[in-house]
Amino acid sequence: MRESLSARSFLVLPQRGGRVSIFEIAIFAGCFVFATVGLSQNFQDIAVLSFLWAGLALAWNIAGGFAGLISFGHAAFFGIGAYTSTILFLHFGLSPWVGIWCGGLLTAGFGALLAIICARLRGPFFILSTLAAAEVVRIAALNWASLTGGPEGLSIPPAAGMANMVFMSKTAYVIMMSVFLVAVYAVTKSLEGSRYGYYLYSVRDDVDAASAAGVNPSLVRTSAMALSAGLTGIGGSLFAQYFLYLDPTFIISPDLSFQFALLAAVGGLGTAIGPVLGSFLITPMSELLRSYLGYQVAGLHLVIYSALLIVVVLYFPGGIAGALTRIAGGRAKL
Amino acid sequence: MTTLGQLILSGTFVGGIYALMSMGLTLIFGVLRIVNFAHGEFLMLAMYGAWAITRVFGLNPYIAAMAIVPAMFLFGAIVHQIIVRPALDKPHLVVVFATMGLSIFMQNAALMIMTADLWDVPPIFSHSVKIGPFYFKAELLLGFAVTILCTLFLQWLIRSTYLGKAIRATVQDGEAAMLMGIPVPRIFLVTFATGSALVGLAACLMMPLFSVFPTVGLNFVLIAFVIVVLGGMGSIEGALIGGMCIGVVQSISSYYVAPAYGQMFYFILFLLVMIFRPNGLLGQKGAATIGIND
Amino acid sequence: MTAILRVDNLSRRFGSLWALNDVSFSVERGELLGLIGPNGAGKSTLYNLIAGALSPTGGEIVFDGRPVTHMKSYQIARIGIARTFQIPKPYKQLSVVENVMLTAFQHEKSVRRARALAAETLSDVGLSNYIDVPVATLTVGLLKRLEVARALAMRPKLVLFDEIMAGLTPAEVGTMTGFVSSLPARGITVIWVEHVLYAIMKSASRIMVLNRGELIASGAPAAVVRNPAVVKAYLGEEMSLA
Repeated sequence: MRESLSARSFLVLPQRGGRVSIFEIAIFAGCFVFATVGLSQNFQDIAVLSFLWAGLALAWNIAGGFAGLISFGHAAFFGIGAYTSTILFLHFGLSPWVGIWCGGLLTAGFGALLAIICARLRGPFFILSTLAAAEVVRIAALNWASLTGGPEGLSIPPAAGMANMVFMSKTAYVIMMSVFLVAVYAVTKSLEGSRYGYYLYSVRDDVDAASAAGVNPSLVRTSAMALSAGLTGIGGSLFAQYFLYLDPTFIISPDLSFQFALLAAVGGLGTAIGPVLGSFLITPMSELLRSYLGYQVAGLHLVIYSALLIVVVLYFPGGIAGALTRIAGGRAKL
Repeated sequence: MTTLGQLILSGTFVGGIYALMSMGLTLIFGVLRIVNFAHGEFLMLAMYGAWAITRVFGLNPYIAAMAIVPAMFLFGAIVHQIIVRPALDKPHLVVVFATMGLSIFMQNAALMIMTADLWDVPPIFSHSVKIGPFYFKAELLLGFAVTILCTLFLQWLIRSTYLGKAIRATVQDGEAAMLMGIPVPRIFLVTFATGSALVGLAACLMMPLFSVFPTVGLNFVLIAFVIVVLGGMGSIEGALIGGMCIGVVQSISSYYVAPAYGQMFYFILFLLVMIFRPNGLLGQKGAATIGIND
Repeated sequence: MTAILRVDNLSRRFGSLWALNDVSFSVERGELLGLIGPNGAGKSTLYNLIAGALSPTGGEIVFDGRPVTHMKSYQIARIGIARTFQIPKPYKQLSVVENVMLTAFQHEKSVRRARALAAETLSDVGLSNYIDVPVATLTVGLLKRLEVARALAMRPKLVLFDEIMAGLTPAEVGTMTGFVSSLPARGITVIWVEHVLYAIMKSASRIMVLNRGELIASGAPAAVVRNPAVVKAYLGEEMSLA
């Protein structure tokens, strides 16, 4: 039952049915071409990070945008995934190709645990609990030196090779991250138009009505958080393979958690393309800012992004994606 | 035994000051039904302000309070008008993101301007006060005394003035209050600004006891939330009692637990309260379990 | 035994207030039972207890031969009890048809077929023109009809209607009354809380009256309305005899 290609189907926003629009295809195609075709290392760096953070923002969005479980502690899942695959590799020689999935499963478990613990909490208390839980994980990672290397962190030896999932050329990493992005995007898109997706929306919008409709809210929330966490953990492992160094202060920081939420919110919560747009807009800006200012002015980029976030949420409902729909004259759906 | 007594009493006193910091939050919670995620950063801002006035003018934080409290009232009013009010008629997550954004903004602005270093004010009183077998910093006792006075003042304000009645009406039923001719938007503004002023006062009392740094707000905001939940949403007296309890718990546990893990205290305490007692000590209107915009 | 629902000695206390006190009754399969009472009588509490949103302080509820007293609300929905909410609770970020699809999923697992079922239900209640409209733009009257559609898309055995007439014009009241009257013939038992007494008087086979948590009358509409206890309960209250 395909609709004809009208102007409206050029638009991004949820015709909830998981149909991919021309716009989305163009965005992805453009970016992959741009990123892989013979560019300087710097630009490839930016591409790697843009794709990775986009995938992570999408993963966050499954819990935050679709299910309404706004978390400011997702960096904990990122970190647990990164540490798990790295520790398995360094201490047990387990190939990261396997370790990544172990990390993903473990983080999914933590995600489910968090959702169960916080099941009765609503609104801001849930949000603060995610923040608190992430801080507990961070401090534990910082102090449990025998496992995590403490404040010195862990390093992965830069021995290139397919088995180690360490590559010489940046292009390989660009491809790796783009595969991750496309995979998470596919998951998100298929959720968007599915029955389970609707269960997520119902629990987000009115949990009592959802219960009265036969939806089991705890199960839906727990599974959404587990999925979101697991994907985030996988992203964390991929990051470890790229960056080759794990520093708990950065990997499990509230700033990183905030970043996932920021990218999703600015791009457009509750949509599939939103978080991608958010990352593609903000990540390059962020990296360029960093290269011009160096690391001298600590905190400047967050000052800019938080101000941007405030303006966007107050005056541009639905983020960039929402604004695009309105420009094209369609209905603004979040 | 004396050690335990010392810990309990000084915990009670500092807990009172924590309570003062939380009273603004519980008022805002009860009246506007929103959570200001930047609450800790308001405290941080006021603490930096108190520190700056002390440093620049050679005064002390208690005198600085005369400038800080009105300044924070004004700051709260401005934040309310610019950030909170536009968010009120939108889906709830707008105010979450807006205040969270403000929190991150303030933290990093502080980082840029003041650097990550810890700043202190020099002690104001030269020796501690001895009561029975116990010693207390005079700053602690003074802070506690001011808190009690402030609590009494707030109670009087809420019970006996028109503003207080209007606030209570708005807490119970905002729509009905509006139908009764109560200018609810103005009540929101005044409440938010007052909450901010209370935080300013608490900051001045806390400056002699704690150092200030850009992320100091995070620790205290979690304590504030715990106190609000324990004491019951919108209850001033509840905040005071909750605060004193938390102060005692913190005092005892920081004595017996290794300092490396001491920072975890705030977060674990918060999670424990959320998990086991989201309905408060007295089991009233569950602050944590009812929806905020319900 | 044709009773589809049996309520035995049901009570619910809030603090020192007995919102519902020792209420017992049964509902026959295919009945259209009206439930009236002044504000604060306990009607919402009764609905919340039956629908599993609250648990009773005492008493039992048996549905279709099964004890359901302590089941959670989603479980109750799955065994065939649907309800509307007095203050409509739509999914604000979804469209009208999507709102109904959630309940339609009880019977149709595919998105396409659920949407079809939802659209069909919507046309039953006269909302076909609003299918893809975002719910945020609907008026209260339309939202109430949406509540009805949501409940019916579940193909329930028993439906609990809660003041679905508010905001409807007299003509619409007539249409809706006719529609609700047709439900028993489709195999749906109806309990109907309503302040628009006219509608219930015309269509209900039996009316129960709650006052201050207690069942004070039950019987044919004409008799109940003349019952002195009932009149006294309402004395001083304005009743809408639309």
